[in-house]
Amino acid sequence: MKPPTDRGSLALGAYVYAVLAFIIVPLVIVIPMSFSQNDYLAFPPSGFTLKWYAEYFDSRQWRAATWLSVQVALLTALFASVIGTAATYAMIRGRSRLVTVFQILLIGPIIVPHIALAVGLYLFFQTIGLSGTIPGFVLAHTVLTLPFVVFTMAAALGKVDANLEAAAMSCGASRFQAFRLVTLPLVLPSLASSALFAFIISFDEPVVSFFLSGVRQKTLPRRMFEDIEQNLTPVIPAIATLLIVLSILILLGAHVLRSRSVTR
Amino acid sequence: MMEAGRSHFWHSDGRQLSGLSTLLLLLPFFAIIAFVFVYPILQLLVISVLEPHPTLDNYARVVENPVHMRVLMRTLWTATLVTALSVVLGFPVAYYMSRAKGTVAALVAVCVILPLWSSVLVRTAAWSFLFQRNGLINSALMALGLTSEPFKLLYTQSAVVIAMAHVLLPFMILPIYGALRSIPNDYGRAAAVLGATRLRTFLEVILPLSLPGVVSGSLLVFLTALGFFITPALLGSPQEMMISTLVSKQIREVLDWPFAAALVGVLTVFVTLLAIVFSKTLRFDRLMGNAS
Amino acid sequence: MNIASARQSATGASIRISRLEKRFGAVSAVDGVDIDIAAGEFVALLGPSGSGKTTILMSVAGFEFPTSGTIHVDSEDLTYVPSNRRNLGMVFQNYTLFPHLSILDNVAFPLKMRGLRTAERHARAEAALATVRLAGYGHRRPNELSGGQQQRVALARAIVYQPRVLLMDEPLSALDKNLREDMQLEIKRLHAELGITVIFVTHDQSEALTMADRIAVLRDGKIQQIGPARQLYERPTNLFTAGFIGEMNFVDVAVQSVGDDISVALPWGETWRLPATAAVERLAAGEAAVLAVRPERLQLGAGSPGQVVTVTLSDIVYAGSALLLIGRLPDGTEMRARIPGASQLSSLAPGDVASFTIPTEAMLLYRGKR
Repeated sequence: MKPPTDRGSLALGAYVYAVLAFIIVPLVIVIPMSFSQNDYLAFPPSGFTLKWYAEYFDSRQWRAATWLSVQVALLTALFASVIGTAATYAMIRGRSRLVTVFQILLIGPIIVPHIALAVGLYLFFQTIGLSGTIPGFVLAHTVLTLPFVVFTMAAALGKVDANLEAAAMSCGASRFQAFRLVTLPLVLPSLASSALFAFIISFDEPVVSFFLSGVRQKTLPRRMFEDIEQNLTPVIPAIATLLIVLSILILLGAHVLRSRSVTR
Repeated sequence: MMEAGRSHFWHSDGRQLSGLSTLLLLLPFFAIIAFVFVYPILQLLVISVLEPHPTLDNYARVVENPVHMRVLMRTLWTATLVTALSVVLGFPVAYYMSRAKGTVAALVAVCVILPLWSSVLVRTAAWSFLFQRNGLINSALMALGLTSEPFKLLYTQSAVVIAMAHVLLPFMILPIYGALRSIPNDYGRAAAVLGATRLRTFLEVILPLSLPGVVSGSLLVFLTALGFFITPALLGSPQEMMISTLVSKQIREVLDWPFAAALVGVLTVFVTLLAIVFSKTLRFDRLMGNAS
Repeated sequence: MNIASARQSATGASIRISRLEKRFGAVSAVDGVDIDIAAGEFVALLGPSGSGKTTILMSVAGFEFPTSGTIHVDSEDLTYVPSNRRNLGMVFQNYTLFPHLSILDNVAFPLKMRGLRTAERHARAEAALATVRLAGYGHRRPNELSGGQQQRVALARAIVYQPRVLLMDEPLSALDKNLREDMQLEIKRLHAELGITVIFVTHDQSEALTMADRIAVLRDGKIQQIGPARQLYERPTNLFTAGFIGEMNFVDVAVQSVGDDISVALPWGETWRLPATAAVERLAAGEAAVLAVRPERLQLGAGSPGQVVTVTLSDIVYAGSALLLIGRLPDGTEMRARIPGASQLSSLAPGDVASFTIPTEAMLLYRGKR
């Protein structure tokens, strides 16, 4: 007698790998296309060239858009991780009755459609002159990234025993010293990875950027949107490839940080 | 002790922050959410009922104009299709992921989580390459002899549904995975040894226990799909707008602010109500990809 | 399948596990195990974690298919039959009551799978709940019951369809001590009542010794010894079992001669003559051997027949029913003695040198070193 072949599992496996292909192929497909010599985006790609990458790096407009997005994303990462960590720490260690309000406001930016926030901010920022400015983008992106920072930090801070700080304070440390010398080092990997995630969310954020961008100040996603909408050149696969590499690097970074984390 | 006589509000022991520090630490968060999130949304809602004069006319225009009603219905229908497609595609993946071990588990997790952290624009652009007249899908269909003429795929409702399901799939998979992951392996084994076939085990035990995850994922996908902008704007047909593309048109081309505000109001209120009704089942913390 | 008539004929099935092997890659979890279990017998699989006891149970339950070997229940080959067609009862470590079903529906679940009508399966489930003394708890949810109650529900669910074999995977390890002892008795009672064959996996030797008709001691996927509790305790067949079951003192000795009796040289220079029956394994002159003796077999003071040892005491522990004396033999080997009726020994103090007599028949000899 032989063990029976497990047809059910085989069928499930086949289906799952087909879906995974559906998920991954559209991401991966842009990579060969970015090296294609065809001027129009035909499939299959032919030849090998780096000219689309050269076009991206040589173009002043693309460079300007990228630089704007980098600045905005760096500042957003800084803002969101500091503000988010402070608020999370207060919610976890404080004797606040604001928990419910806090949670509702936190979920707001996830639930409310980005188009609604984008339109609202477009109107608001025009009247106060923040539209198309770096502070404007940073403020908007900070709101969008805060929930993710808070979720990450709440998980990390929740695992740090409150008694550790009490112990540090019984040794003579002030509240701030206890945080800086005991809690902060323990949650630092999570803090760094939440900053990484805030960076990538901001860097890739298309909707709010779309409405807040001015004629001159265009973020990278806004420029990409225009290019895809109007003339879909092979520069897009080249940029897409670079963005995918960036995503992979950020995920790898977050993975390394998590594996180092004491509080995981 | 200096603090001994002071009120409870100022007191700080080793485990808890004082009321003042709590407030100071929360202040930046509440300030930025209030000014950059709550205020602009409220302002829009106010405009939608006060301009050009205090009236609900703007909302009446949404409901009474059949063109606009069709946009609303299309938006609801598209979001429903996207949600259904995501469940069908996502549940088996989540199930497989929850039972996989070692390298396979890591591989599946990467396939699910990597798209979550890559640009929506990149993924939408990729679909516009695939759906082109001479893109991969038409090339493949013609090479297989299934068609002699390339299909029109780009700028169709199907293109929007498929690409949106692709973009939103991780939001479906991760909550279901979380729910399935919390079902001990022994439940399936117990059902089997008690006489249940695989199908019965799934229907009687696994599915009911993973239902909160399915509901959570479906809501998340549905709510996000309702307000989705990028993918319909780039892959959809201008004749078949969704609410977000209509809003964008009102603002960029028609410059009809009160009407755009009313559209945003309809969308926001509907989404918020749904979120409140299902607030118990929504689990946002599972979205970070750290469902493990 | 005729469930209705099964109640009257509910006697256990015999189980034959032959040359069972399960490899995971290069690792052998189960390495050639043979166990014959008589109908209605209660067998415990006892061993440390990783000994293969759970893998054997998983193979019998059908959750894992063995690499080679066969499993027969009565005369039917079940080796590769899916779990749901084996008709075995099973109780898991963590109760595994389905949290979305009421207690009654949990117990009725296997009957539902067997196509019984609602009214009948509820009636039977009620009856099964009464068997585990939980009548009237049917409408509750699993999380409203204590751990012990949940495990009794799991037991009811496992027997409600009158299986002829009941598999139990460390069913009591999640319960606290008092509850565990109650449940041991409950399971024993059910076993006697139903006449069902039981395979019981545990890492708790006292549980195995009190409950099982026979115990199979496992280590690294192999059976070390299988037999009734008394045999395992009184005369373990190898050094591993000797050390694994109960407390045991070990002294390294050298075999000097083997004949009608055996003479061994002790590390501190003495030579003892022991009866040939002391050798559990075949010994040869010149070999190293281990002398094993249970702490409770040592008697305080010289006088009674046997060998006398002097022990320098280091710890004297009052342990309720007995006094535990810990000390060192002249060569430094640790020796423990459990002396019942401790009151007259209160004069002993750490540092004292005490003499103990070891009755000749209490000594066992094994090959090798400790």
